[in-house]
Amino acid sequence: MPQEPRRFQFRSFRARILTFVVGVLLLVQGAVLLSVHAANLRGARQHVNEALELTAAAFRRSLQVREQILVEKARLLSSDFAFKQVAATRDSATIRSALENHSGRVGAQVMMLLDPAGAPLASTLALAAGDAEALGSLVARANDDEFGESSAIELLASAPYQLVIVPLFTPEPSAWIVIGFAVDDALARDLQKETHTDVTLLHSGRDGWNAFSTTLPAGPLRELEQQLPARVPDGSAIASLQIAGEQYVSWIAPIAGADAPLVAVLQRSLDDAMESFLALRGTLFVIFGLGLVVSVAFSALIAGRVTRPVAELARGARRIERGNYADPVTLAQRDELGALATSFNAMMKGLAERDRVRDLLGRVVAPEIAEELLSREIALGGEERRVSVLFTDVRGFTGLSEREEPQRLVAILNTFLTAASNAIESHGGVVEEYMGDGAKALFGAPVSHPDDAQRAVLAGLALAASLPAVNAKVAQLGAQPLAIGIGIHTGEAVAGRMGSLARLKYTVVGDTVNLASRLEGLSARYGVTIIASRAARDECPEILFRELDRVRVTGREKPVAIFEPLGLLAEADADLRERVELHREALARFRAADWEKAAAGFAQLARREPEARLHRVFLERIEALRRAPPGPDWDGTFTHREK
Amino acid sequence: MKCRRTGTMRSRERGAAPGRALAILVAGTVAALGPARAEQLSASVRSERGEPVRDAVVYALPEGAAKLNLPAPERVVIDQVDKEFVPYVTPVYVGTRVNFPNRDRIRHHVYSFSPAKTFEIPLYDGMPQRLVAFDRPGEVVLGCNIHDWMKAYVYVVETPYFSVTDGAGLAAIEAPAGDYRVEVWHPRLEGEPEATARTLRLESGAAPRLDFVIAQKRVWSPRRAPASDPDYR
Repeated sequence: MPQEPRRFQFRSFRARILTFVVGVLLLVQGAVLLSVHAANLRGARQHVNEALELTAAAFRRSLQVREQILVEKARLLSSDFAFKQVAATRDSATIRSALENHSGRVGAQVMMLLDPAGAPLASTLALAAGDAEALGSLVARANDDEFGESSAIELLASAPYQLVIVPLFTPEPSAWIVIGFAVDDALARDLQKETHTDVTLLHSGRDGWNAFSTTLPAGPLRELEQQLPARVPDGSAIASLQIAGEQYVSWIAPIAGADAPLVAVLQRSLDDAMESFLALRGTLFVIFGLGLVVSVAFSALIAGRVTRPVAELARGARRIERGNYADPVTLAQRDELGALATSFNAMMKGLAERDRVRDLLGRVVAPEIAEELLSREIALGGEERRVSVLFTDVRGFTGLSEREEPQRLVAILNTFLTAASNAIESHGGVVEEYMGDGAKALFGAPVSHPDDAQRAVLAGLALAASLPAVNAKVAQLGAQPLAIGIGIHTGEAVAGRMGSLARLKYTVVGDTVNLASRLEGLSARYGVTIIASRAARDECPEILFRELDRVRVTGREKPVAIFEPLGLLAEADADLRERVELHREALARFRAADWEKAAAGFAQLARREPEARLHRVFLERIEALRRAPPGPDWDGTFTHREK
Repeated sequence: MKCRRTGTMRSRERGAAPGRALAILVAGTVAALGPARAEQLSASVRSERGEPVRDAVVYALPEGAAKLNLPAPERVVIDQVDKEFVPYVTPVYVGTRVNFPNRDRIRHHVYSFSPAKTFEIPLYDGMPQRLVAFDRPGEVVLGCNIHDWMKAYVYVVETPYFSVTDGAGLAAIEAPAGDYRVEVWHPRLEGEPEATARTLRLESGAAPRLDFVIAQKRVWSPRRAPASDPDYR
């Protein structure tokens, strides 16, 4: 019987497996997905940052290289003898024309000659008032340099130039040569080729940041100018800026070698960089989903491999429950479940065997006895019980067995014993054993009822009533009709398992048993079928008895009164009652030694029941006693000599 | 007076014989006139850090009577050896004519843009065509057009009495007794030589010593090509 589920329990093993597998899978894969995703994101960000750092390094290198190239161009000029001659003239116009010539040669946008103090001697560009300061600081830096060289990005006439300054050696440094290259979008585009990022160079003015060289289009550029913080940290910084709706990772750094705050911004779109990482995330999700589906399918499959065999075994168990031992459980697998099925089948065989044994036992001994024997430990011992014992057998069996052939004899006997067994068991009695041509039955052990004695008597009456039917069968077998005798006595006896441990039986022994047997033997003498003792009669209030005699049987000292049960009191008609009464009277006269009256009574009874041998027995007894009168202490007890 | 002279003279000059004859004549005249008594004046030059300064020109400008009777300038030689000018610093009496023999197997192009003497001797080997006369006092910086590091100085003074300090920063001048204004000049001198002036009366038999401390300015030079003597400053 399945138990009621407490709280939440699984109704099916398959569901449990599925839930478990799916749960574990979700947990594990979920954890994996989350951690991989987090790592992925971190990795992506880090990658972008690292790429940007590398780009920044490339940018710096690029600027440096440009600077180097410019310095070398300037150096070449400073060693040009012709220019030295021109410079020595100190003629501003001549010098300027030579400067213009040279700037054409090297592709510079501005060239100047300064005196050692830094004041311009000649310039290709008309300088504004504020430019002197820029030049002055450039000269100061060059003075501090080992080779008297320096470079910077400075504003000249409000335009940005990358300037380099070198001394003019004649052969002592006698002047400064300054070459400048305009910084515009071309520079940013050049740098972009090297760094593969968007490049913007800005300088800080009164109204915020202004870009002087950029690869960005106008709109995003304005956004960038607005988003840059007013103060840029001294070192480089990486920030995430939102421009034109896209996230840009931006490397911001001040440009070295500049007086005015100049800043370079390298930018790379985060979304572009993240593309491959997002693709990876998508792949992860797909794998996760597929894994889930596959796992569910597989776990269902595997669950099936367990639940189906288990269900098969359960069906086998139910068959056993119903008592069907015929169909073994067949499982095709060779794993633990297959082994279980094999064991199960062996168990089933064992159970079948046991059932057969039990069945047989139940047939060999009465089921109640079988149950009693099985229910306790195998041990010898008994208990005192009040029982009614019924003996029955076929009269004249010895002659019968001599006459009939064995097979027919067995058939005849089986017919009688079957009827006896039916009568006994239908009244709650137990056939303790069959003894050749008869049976010994117990009422009150192993199972007792309050009316065991009456049951016994009723059983006997039933058996007697079934005799015609038995004889009909016997006649069919071609044999003479049987005559049977039944003896019933009630009393204390010892009931239990007796014998030896190797060979025991449940049985009842005692005086009570012996007397019942004797009474059965007496039945032929009196020509009655059933003889019951007073003890039995006393416990049968519903049955009409005829007192037969008071006897002393072989081997017993004490006399015992014997009775013949005639049927249920309620069913007894007036005639029968009268006859019983008459018999009681006659018996009384007999015990009173009133031979005349006794004889008359018995004679009258004999006339009314001509087939009954009982009355003739008494008449003969009376005759014998007339001839040999008994002594004064005679109480009417008849002593039977033989068994 | 003594002039430093290094190296041997290669006589490959055209017209050398008349020049030599003139020199002998002058020397003879001077000898015949009899030498003016030369007094010894020694000087030391140190930097502000106390280190001895070499290649400083210590010169005594005569004042008063000593101005008269100055000998005539002699000829001076500045060699080009192993792609360097030798010596590094050459003081000359105003009016001296200087020769620039090229001792290398390659040509040199000597030039100067200094206001005191602007000249050039285009690529040549051996002896130049002409001597260069230094007529104006002042500093003359020499360079070679095709060798950026080659540098030398000619310091033109209005006195024949001068000397150049050695590695120990010491110099010795021989001059006749009299009043002098002694000054120091160095290629890296910070400020004007006049600022270093010390007046001195040189007396017979005295051997005074003057100690100068000068300030020097930082100067840088163009990068020198390899395979040359890095020690030559």
